[in-house]
Amino acid sequence: MKRLAKKDLTSVLMEWAEHHALICPTRQQPGDIIFDAFNPETFILDYGKPPLSPKACFLPHSEVIFTVHDGAYQTVSSSDKRLIFGLRACDACGLQQAQRFMTRDRDDIYYQARWDTTLKVVVACSGPQNETCFCTTTRSGPIAAEGFDLQVYDLGDELLIEIGSEAGESLTIGRAFTEPDQKIASDALEAFCKRAQAAIPLKPEIKASIDALKTDSPHEVWDFLGRKCITCGGCAFVCPTCTCFNIYDQAVSAYTGLRIRAWDACLYGGFTREASGHNPRPSQALRLQRRHEHKLRYYHALDIGQALCGCVGCGRCSDFCPVHIGTLEVAQTIVAGGEHV
Amino acid sequence: MTNSIQEFEDADLVLVTGSNTTAQHPLIGTRIINAHVRGTKLIVVDPRIISLAEHADLHLRQNIGTDVALFNGIMNVIIAEGLHDRNFITTRTEGFEALKEVVNRYTPNVVQAITGVPAGDIIAAARMYARADKAMIAYAMGITQHTTGTDNVKTLANLAMLTGHVGRPSTGINPLRGQNNVQGACDMGALPNVFCGYQSVAVPEIRAKFETAWGRPLNDKPGLTITDMMSAALQGDIKAMYIMGENPMMSDPDTSHIERALANLDFLVVQDIFLTETARLADVVLPGAAFSEKTGTYTNTERRVQVAHAATPPPQEARTDWEIICSLSTHAGYPMAYDSPWDIMREVNTLTPSYAGITYERLEACHGLQWPCPTPEHPGTPILHRDKFTKGLGTFLACDFKPLAEVPDEEFDFILTTGRISYQYHTGTMTRRTNLLEREAPHAQVQIHPDDARRLAIRNYDLVEISSRRGTVRMQAEITDQVPRKVLFTTFHFHEAPVNILTNPACDPISKIPEYKGCAVMIRRIS
Repeated sequence: MKRLAKKDLTSVLMEWAEHHALICPTRQQPGDIIFDAFNPETFILDYGKPPLSPKACFLPHSEVIFTVHDGAYQTVSSSDKRLIFGLRACDACGLQQAQRFMTRDRDDIYYQARWDTTLKVVVACSGPQNETCFCTTTRSGPIAAEGFDLQVYDLGDELLIEIGSEAGESLTIGRAFTEPDQKIASDALEAFCKRAQAAIPLKPEIKASIDALKTDSPHEVWDFLGRKCITCGGCAFVCPTCTCFNIYDQAVSAYTGLRIRAWDACLYGGFTREASGHNPRPSQALRLQRRHEHKLRYYHALDIGQALCGCVGCGRCSDFCPVHIGTLEVAQTIVAGGEHV
Repeated sequence: MTNSIQEFEDADLVLVTGSNTTAQHPLIGTRIINAHVRGTKLIVVDPRIISLAEHADLHLRQNIGTDVALFNGIMNVIIAEGLHDRNFITTRTEGFEALKEVVNRYTPNVVQAITGVPAGDIIAAARMYARADKAMIAYAMGITQHTTGTDNVKTLANLAMLTGHVGRPSTGINPLRGQNNVQGACDMGALPNVFCGYQSVAVPEIRAKFETAWGRPLNDKPGLTITDMMSAALQGDIKAMYIMGENPMMSDPDTSHIERALANLDFLVVQDIFLTETARLADVVLPGAAFSEKTGTYTNTERRVQVAHAATPPPQEARTDWEIICSLSTHAGYPMAYDSPWDIMREVNTLTPSYAGITYERLEACHGLQWPCPTPEHPGTPILHRDKFTKGLGTFLACDFKPLAEVPDEEFDFILTTGRISYQYHTGTMTRRTNLLEREAPHAQVQIHPDDARRLAIRNYDLVEISSRRGTVRMQAEITDQVPRKVLFTTFHFHEAPVNILTNPACDPISKIPEYKGCAVMIRRIS
């Protein structure tokens, strides 16, 4: 455990930025908060829940994975030393789920290269960032249990720093970091965690929907939701655990070009459409069912770790779905069993 | 829209016609579905079984191009059964007797013969619409893209006034605009006969106001519409053209005619973000900025002006449209020295009464303002025509049914109707360069009814050839009973199958909108 005066945080970040590509929450004009390159002018600590999780740091919205020059193939993978400051616990958990999924049974060198070269600093939540937070239900927050190099607890004027790895510890050797009194620090931490846990209400519909999905849910639920879904894919794009991607080629000439992988979403018809034109998930209802069953029913035990399921309770899908089909609303509909639909 | 988007949620009845709402205005579509789940009645009037029709309490599938007859028939029933709003008609409108005389001829049986809609459904729709306390009409290009487009809109307005469904919350006549800022473009005077805010060029006082502001004498004659410009270019009356963000080689009817017209110009300038089919023909191409690269305002379908900020700078030498126009104007001898969109908006505020109170300072602090908004304190206007119509009394403008300009015959025995799908936008300039969207909808398909397909030995996904009097295109067939028999539906997104080679350039005489929604074609399988 280390201690850092909050007023020294910016200078510490500036130091870290000398040795790493530092990514942190920034406030852009006219007010949007996004994870972006550190700049003392735009960096903010009071950033709530950024609309986009930092998953793009590992699985960019689009990335070139190889190029072809005159018939010669060249892999493109990143090896920049990076540091992400300001992960929320839910995102740290979600990213770890995604990382396990992406590398568990295959060698995704593009993802893994970014993962291996990126240090992760979590900033624990002292309470819900808004009314859709439910990490206490999904066991993914408000404090990260693993998957960080450092975890920062904001105690007002001072920050307590939990060390999560050797690499993390080496970040805290500067003069700004001091050793706190262990007893006082652990009491303060315990109080912080207790208060934070208590402040984020449990959402019983999540657990209930997981139980309900152990047997098949009535198709009326999915038909109802499927008729409302506008297939924008926004829920998948804001989700820290969604990793669907597609690849496509851009030919520059007969022997020169590149291959790109880009975000995709299982909610799109073309995601499962076969070459013949046949689609095993021909309706939006079935595609929605598949997406939510992946989060709540068919997740892989190895991927989710200590968490409850394949959803980490960040609530972004409920925040941003323009037609209100986020995980919370889906769970409520499942629990209602299609009765009110 | 006379009313606002959120009012769909509180309507007792929504009548949707000529709009594939869930595909083209999905958030409005969802509001309608949500309202329907809570008990709002829904009438869909559309020849195709669009997905909203699956929710509808009543789906009227009129023959293409028979909208005036259908709505006259509905009004006939309303008047015959005494369901019209006598108080509204007396206090707010004029010309009721003339309307009555016309719609008297459109009895349900007569209308059934013209439209193919069963008389019983016409009567049911009339009763449902007239008896609802708050009923909204929503329409889109299925109504306007006809040689009778203006008549179609007038007829819908007659229907709303006849029943007093105007000027109150959750009522009104609500065109769902086909593009995110087409309302704003029209508001800013991108029309041949008006300055910004629909101020006529023919009115001397208005012209004098703009002449004073701009320090130049201004022409009092309306200019030409797009369709007229193309004919004038073909005849050699127009020598040069400057096209911005428009791709008429794909979007205008009878493409061969457009190609000849553009080729006949001495000089063509195209300003766009990609090298479109039209830009390829240009003498000079000016690279513009994309939506995410410029700051400005958009005015949406409910007249709401909203500000959007640039997320990234334009690439290389591309510039925002206003910067290009200012620079061009300055070179041409009329210096324009605006320094920002804020600066331009300040001029808009001074010259446009309906936008006078819509300032950037206010827009930055809220989710937009709906015009008319005449003063800096005015809260905006969610509902038009509340106590009186803009012109005073609302005039019933009765219209008689006129058939499509080109009706099917023995040789060209199908009606082709065109529109859009969710995944592609217009001529595909942007969406066809987007990998995911291209994966979702990679090529043109023509919808054909199973009975027609069987008769013509067309199987699903067969390559077919569609021909009109103007040309021929080939595409894949999609067999579906969403289209009526003897009707084909396809989109104009795909340059590989540029369907506007087929469409009829016949226009509405007032709005000059071409009849994209119906022309006569033949179809055959390519073996």
